[in-house]
Amino acid sequence: MSAATTAPHPTGRPVISTGRPGGARRGRRRSHLQGAGLPWILPAVVLIVGLIYFSIGFTGYVATLDWNGFILSSPTHVGTANFTKMVGDTVFWNAIWHTAYFYVITFTVQTAIGFVFAAIMHSRVRLGAIYKVIIFVPTVLAPATMAPVFRQIFDVDGQFNWLLSHVGLDALTRPWLAESSTAMGVVMAITIWQWTGLTFILFYAAMSQIEPEILEAARIDGAGSVRTLWSIVWPMCRGTTSALAMLGLIGALKTFDIPYLVTKGGPNHGTEFLGTYIYQTMVQQKHFGYAAAISVALLMLAIAGGVLMSVRNRRAEGR
Amino acid sequence: MRTSMRTLRGRRLGAVAAVTGLALLALTACSGGSGATTGTPGSATSGDITWWGWTPDATNASKLIAAFNKEYPDIKVEFVSKPIDSYDSVLSPAITSSQGPDVFNVAPGSANGGVQTFEAGAIDLTSAVEGALGSDWKSKLAPAGVDGLSVGDKLVGLSAGAVYSGGLWINQDIFDKYNLKAPTTMAEWKSVCATLTADGQGCFVQGAGQWAFDMDTFEAIADNVEPGLYVKASKGEVPWTDPKFVTAMDLWKSLFTDGIMQEGAVGLQQYPDANNAFMSGKYAMVMMGTWYTQYAVKDSMVAAMEAAGVGSPTPITITPIPFPDLAGTGNTGSMFGDADYGLAVSAKSTKQAAATTFALWLTTSTAGQQAVANTLNDIPALKGVTPQWDQIDLVNSDKQKAALQTYTEGAGAATEPRFATVSADLNTAFRDALIGVASGDKTSMQALEGLEAVQKAQK
Repeated sequence: MSAATTAPHPTGRPVISTGRPGGARRGRRRSHLQGAGLPWILPAVVLIVGLIYFSIGFTGYVATLDWNGFILSSPTHVGTANFTKMVGDTVFWNAIWHTAYFYVITFTVQTAIGFVFAAIMHSRVRLGAIYKVIIFVPTVLAPATMAPVFRQIFDVDGQFNWLLSHVGLDALTRPWLAESSTAMGVVMAITIWQWTGLTFILFYAAMSQIEPEILEAARIDGAGSVRTLWSIVWPMCRGTTSALAMLGLIGALKTFDIPYLVTKGGPNHGTEFLGTYIYQTMVQQKHFGYAAAISVALLMLAIAGGVLMSVRNRRAEGR
Repeated sequence: MRTSMRTLRGRRLGAVAAVTGLALLALTACSGGSGATTGTPGSATSGDITWWGWTPDATNASKLIAAFNKEYPDIKVEFVSKPIDSYDSVLSPAITSSQGPDVFNVAPGSANGGVQTFEAGAIDLTSAVEGALGSDWKSKLAPAGVDGLSVGDKLVGLSAGAVYSGGLWINQDIFDKYNLKAPTTMAEWKSVCATLTADGQGCFVQGAGQWAFDMDTFEAIADNVEPGLYVKASKGEVPWTDPKFVTAMDLWKSLFTDGIMQEGAVGLQQYPDANNAFMSGKYAMVMMGTWYTQYAVKDSMVAAMEAAGVGSPTPITITPIPFPDLAGTGNTGSMFGDADYGLAVSAKSTKQAAATTFALWLTTSTAGQQAVANTLNDIPALKGVTPQWDQIDLVNSDKQKAALQTYTEGAGAATEPRFATVSADLNTAFRDALIGVASGDKTSMQALEGLEAVQKAQK
C-alpha cells in the first residue's frame, strides 16, 4: 500500500497523488474516453436543450404575450403585464397557499403512516406479504380510474355518508365535494391514500438497511420499541425522509390530476392548485400568455423549493 | 493544444446554440400570426374529405353523410369525432396542416371551437352561401346561425342547426305516477319537490359544478324578471349590478335554500352526474335544452339510459316544460340559443370545393336540413324545415308529440343568444358568481360586482 503524497498545483491547491504507477496514463485514457463519449451524449444534449430548455425559454417568451394559443392568430406583446396581473390575482395566491398546506399535511400524514406501517411490517406480522400488496396497490392505480369512484363515495348519497349514518354520526354527513371547506380535505385524503404505499415501501427498504446489531444494542441498553423507533430507526431513515420530502414538494407543485378529476378545482376555487389554474386559464379562457406567466412562477417556486431543501439537507448531513 | 480544444469546444457550443436558435426562430415564426396559406379548390363534386367535430354523435353523423351521398355519391366524407374537452387542443395544430380536416366544426362565443379563435384557419363562406340561397340568404337562415358564426364580415361557419335552452325536462312517468302537474310557479315547484321528496323520489337535479348550465338557469331566471335584460348586460348595455339582477340572483340562491336543487349540487357536474341521475330515474326534473329532444325517441332514450348505467332499460317518457315563473312576472317560455355547430372549410384544405359542397348541402339545402331536423338534436338553421314527426319513433307519442312540436317551434322562433355574447372571461366570472352565491360564499351583490368588473375590463 503506497502512501499518498502531495504535489504543488498551478492553482496553489495540493494535488493528492496515490503514488500508483500509470496514474498519468489512466488520466489520458479518461480524457480520451471523454472525447469519444461526446457524440454519444450529443443526441441527449440536443434533445434536452432543444426540447426542455428551449420550451422553458419559449414559455418565458409566451408569458410576455396576449395570445389565444392558435398558431395562426397574431399575439400582442404586453411586456410584463401578465406578471403584474398575477401579483394581484387572488386565485393565484390561493393556489399557492393551497399547495403549501396541501404539501405540509399530505407529507406529514403520509410519512407518519408509511413509517409506522413499515415498522409494523418489520415485526414479522402474519400475512405480511398480503398487507404489503394492499398498502401498495393504490400507488399503481391511475387517478383517472379512481376519480369517478371517489366522486361517488363522497357524494351526498355516497358510501362515506352512508357509513357515517350507520355508525351514529349523522351530524357529520354533508356534501363533501360541494363545500370549499371539505373538498380540499377529500383531495388530501385521496392523495394520502394513493401515495402512502410508496412512502411505506421506501421506509421499509430503508429499515431493512439498518444493521440488526444496532437495534440489538439498543434493546440491551433497555430501549423499548417506541424509544428504539424514535431514537434509532427514525434518525437512520433521515435520508429516505429527505428524499420523500423532495418528492412530495415536487408532487405538490405539480398537483393536477386528483383535484381536476374529482373537484375541477372547485367549488369556489377551494381546491385550486397552480396546475389546475394554468389548465383553466390556458384551455378554457384561452389566455396562453397568462398561463405561461403562472407556469414561469411555478418553475421559480420549484427551483427555489429544491434549492432550499438541498441546502437544508446538506446542513442536516453536516451536523 | 489548449487553444485548439477551446476552439473545438466553442464550435460545438456554437452548433448547439445554432440548432437551438433555429428551433426558436422556427417556433417563433409559427406563433407570429403569419396567416393560413390558402389551399386549393379541387373538384366540387368528387373527392375524399374529412370532417372533424365534437358533435353530432357517430350514429347521427352516419345518417347525415348517407343522406348527402344520395345526392353526391362521389364525395366521400369521413367524420372524425373529437372529445369536446380537447377539441381546441387538437384542432389548433390540425388546421395549420394540409393533412388536417377539410371541414371542421366551429361554435359561437366562448364555447369550444370558438369562431373568434379559429377564424384565421377558415375560408369566408359568404359568396358560397350567396350562390346557394341568393342575395337575401340571411333572411332564409336563423339569425343565431349567422351572427354567432361570423367574425366581422367574414362568415366563418355555416350553421347546421341550433340548440336552445331556457326550459326544463320532466320525467312524465314519475309525474304521472304521483299524479303531479308540471310546476309553473315557485310555490308549485316547491310543492312538487316536497311531494316527491316525501316519497323518497328525487325532484330536480342539476350539476351546478358545471357552470354553463348554471348560466342557463340564471339566464332563464333573469328573462323571467325582465326579458332580454341578460343579453343587454352581456353586451355591456346594462350593468350587472342592476337591482333586477339582484332579484334574479336571490331567486337563483333560493333554488338551493328552498329545497328545489338537490343537496350537494355544486359538487356535481351536469355531464355525466346530473344527466345520469335523471336518465336512471333518480330525479323527476332536469335543466336541459333542445338537444334533449333526441331522447324522446325510443332508440336514443334506450341508448342514453344504458350509457347512464341502467341495465335492460325501459325507455322513459320525457317532455319539455317552460321554466317556472319564479319572479311572478308572467314572463315565461323564454328560450335562448346559439348555433350548435357551424361547418367551417379549412383554409389549408386541398379539396375546398368538395368541402364547401358538403357544408352547403348540410346547412342550406332542404334535404340536408331535413336530415338534421329528423335527428332531433338540432333545430334546423334553414327556416321552414321541421322534423317529420310521423317518421320518428317517439317513446310515448300521445304524451310527447304535441309538447315537442310546440317546444321546437318555440325554439326555432327564439332570437336571444345563449353564449354568443358571453366572452370567455365573463363565462369564467359567471362560475365564480353563481357557484359563490349557491354555496353561500358570496352575497348576490358581491357576485354581481364581480361580473360587472369583468364586463368593464373588457371595454
